[in-house]
Amino acid sequence: MATIGHNNLNAKLVLLGDMGAGKSSLVLRFVKGQFLEFQESTIGAAFFSQTLAANDVTVKFEIWDTAGQERYHSLAPMYYRGAAAAIIVYDISNTDSFGRAKKWVQELQKQGNPNMVMALAGNKADLEDRRKVTAEEARVYAEENGLFFMETSAKTALNVNDIFHEIAKKLPRAQPAQNPAGMVLVDRPPEGSRATSCCS
Amino acid sequence: MEEAIIEPTTFDLIVVGTGLPESVIAAAASSAGKTVLHLDPNPFYGGHFSSLPLHDLTSFLASQSQPSDARCPSSPQPDGSDHTSVHLATRPLYSALNVTSYSAEPLESRKFNLDLAGPRVFFCADSAVDLMLKSGTNQYMEFKNVDASFVFDKNSGGLNSVPDSRSAIFKDTSLSYREKNQLMSVFKLVQGHFEVAGSAESDGGGRRISREDLQRPFAEFLNRMQLPQKIKSIILYAIAMADYDQDLEACKDALKTEDGLDRLALYHSSVGRFPTALGALLYPLYGQGELPQAFCRRAAVKGCLYVLRMPVLALLADKDTGSYKGVKLASGQELFSHRLVLDPSFKVPLPLANSPPASLQNSSHVVGLRDVQGKVARGICITRSSLKPNVSSCLVICPPRSLYPEQVMAIRVLQISSNLAVCPSGMFVFYLSALCEDAVEGKQLLETAISSLFSVPTSGSPEDTSAEQSENTEVLKPTLLWGAVYIQELTMLFQKMYPDEEFFPNTASSDQIEDDSGLDHET
Repeated sequence: MATIGHNNLNAKLVLLGDMGAGKSSLVLRFVKGQFLEFQESTIGAAFFSQTLAANDVTVKFEIWDTAGQERYHSLAPMYYRGAAAAIIVYDISNTDSFGRAKKWVQELQKQGNPNMVMALAGNKADLEDRRKVTAEEARVYAEENGLFFMETSAKTALNVNDIFHEIAKKLPRAQPAQNPAGMVLVDRPPEGSRATSCCS
Repeated sequence: MEEAIIEPTTFDLIVVGTGLPESVIAAAASSAGKTVLHLDPNPFYGGHFSSLPLHDLTSFLASQSQPSDARCPSSPQPDGSDHTSVHLATRPLYSALNVTSYSAEPLESRKFNLDLAGPRVFFCADSAVDLMLKSGTNQYMEFKNVDASFVFDKNSGGLNSVPDSRSAIFKDTSLSYREKNQLMSVFKLVQGHFEVAGSAESDGGGRRISREDLQRPFAEFLNRMQLPQKIKSIILYAIAMADYDQDLEACKDALKTEDGLDRLALYHSSVGRFPTALGALLYPLYGQGELPQAFCRRAAVKGCLYVLRMPVLALLADKDTGSYKGVKLASGQELFSHRLVLDPSFKVPLPLANSPPASLQNSSHVVGLRDVQGKVARGICITRSSLKPNVSSCLVICPPRSLYPEQVMAIRVLQISSNLAVCPSGMFVFYLSALCEDAVEGKQLLETAISSLFSVPTSGSPEDTSAEQSENTEVLKPTLLWGAVYIQELTMLFQKMYPDEEFFPNTASSDQIEDDSGLDHET
């Protein structure tokens, strides 16, 4: 859930889509400005954070990657919990991946929160000569289902920053938290704290 | 997504079941660089450690109360195969399930995240919390403090608060001045003991409790301090969390002074361990089913492959040696691994269990199935009001003999409210648990606790009449909307599998959390 304070917005963003559609590559391009031609399946990256300014506020994205758990359709509810935004990624040169993207949208509508900002990303837009999914087809689908749509290329960086920027602009500003917030446990030596609890 | 053919087909380790212990093992093994496949027959994570919507919980409990059929114990594989398959059966972990709904209108099943089993609360200084921090799973979860602890007092029919720190003792209004001093002296003594123990071995300060005394029962130690029953009860059952009646001559599980002091120290160091957590106890947002999910995510991040909705039908054994080789899935696919970890609900076929140590089910059989620790009676209650006004979450202890004279076991009741996202707003969920010898004792323990703490509508009568009844009684008890009681078999599954690997080598330190284990570590 997006939480607000002092013009800072924290927003959990989840990535969904077929294996090989380029979810991790999009994040890598956005967060690190990198692109790897032969990116391996997502191992080792759990989440990233990136901050950007949109209009009046600074949005800090906490980006969760699927960690490969989508491969056999085994994402945990934990993944969707509290997500303020989602990018559903497909590969414009792969019709199946577009079909699967629609399934992920259904899944999000079932699991996610109703105010979630959803973006549909037609990735690998640099592969124009191998295009199988027209931009028009995707745009119509996105409009019908309340998503916004962009074609992106993690390789050329086309629209990558733009899609995150657009999400940041669309995030509800003063949205009351739908779910209660708890605390994240952060390690620190127990000794120091013991003194504070022993008032005398 | 539909027809899952799993690739690759050979792994270092296959783990079946995504319960908490199995998930910790999968995460630890993946972190140690092993190739791991993690399977679960259910469409959800967590197995017996999951948190489920109301209807899913009752149907899961009902389905797990039946033994699976164990026909076709072994069948030869087609010609040319070098292994035979051994059918796997499961044993029921739950029994004596009894579910009653008292609510006039049906409860919104999907708005509940109900825990099937413990551990339900954590001490802030618990080693399990250390494990979450060490493994990096802490970043996937949020927690809240349990607001307060109480001890049920049958004389007043009310709840006495458990002061868990010196400041709480000062502020407490239910204790007399004398009682405050007595409790304070125990806390001081324990602190003094550990201060001396923590410093150099040789100085032998006067306050250290003698080795001989440390081996004696803790109850006896408290008696010698001439503590009144009320204070003793708070220390033994609400702080040291003893299960059995410690005053019985033939106490089955008498807490040694040494262990009692350790538990007091654990409690003490839990208070204020985290800057934002004031009390000693923690509960995860969305229920404890988040824990296995967090460990599984951690495992996935480290390369573990996840397949839900995939039952394992049989184990594959080497034709000649009979030793474990792999598993046969419900999809018909055969997969191989060096080692296997099975959910403790499986009955491991004997020939395999006795096979050479290459197979882990060997040890999980011996440790997990033979060494069953007994039974736990569990209850879940749903109400629209708190046991204590203005308290959203709390732990209530009903010490031995507090409910009826023959009550040998302490009963713990955990109240959780909607601010932990486990139920619709305005409602409360209660988890009751007590160790027991058999279902009869277990049911008696929980049913007495339920009728002492709640107003139970007579079955069939609508909610509002019972509310009227409870208004007549002096203490306004929460009225039950829904209740379930069941008996669970306790199981254990632990064995050092990879003795040469560090158990969760330190991950990124807390200030590096944002980028997690990151790309720099990627191979």
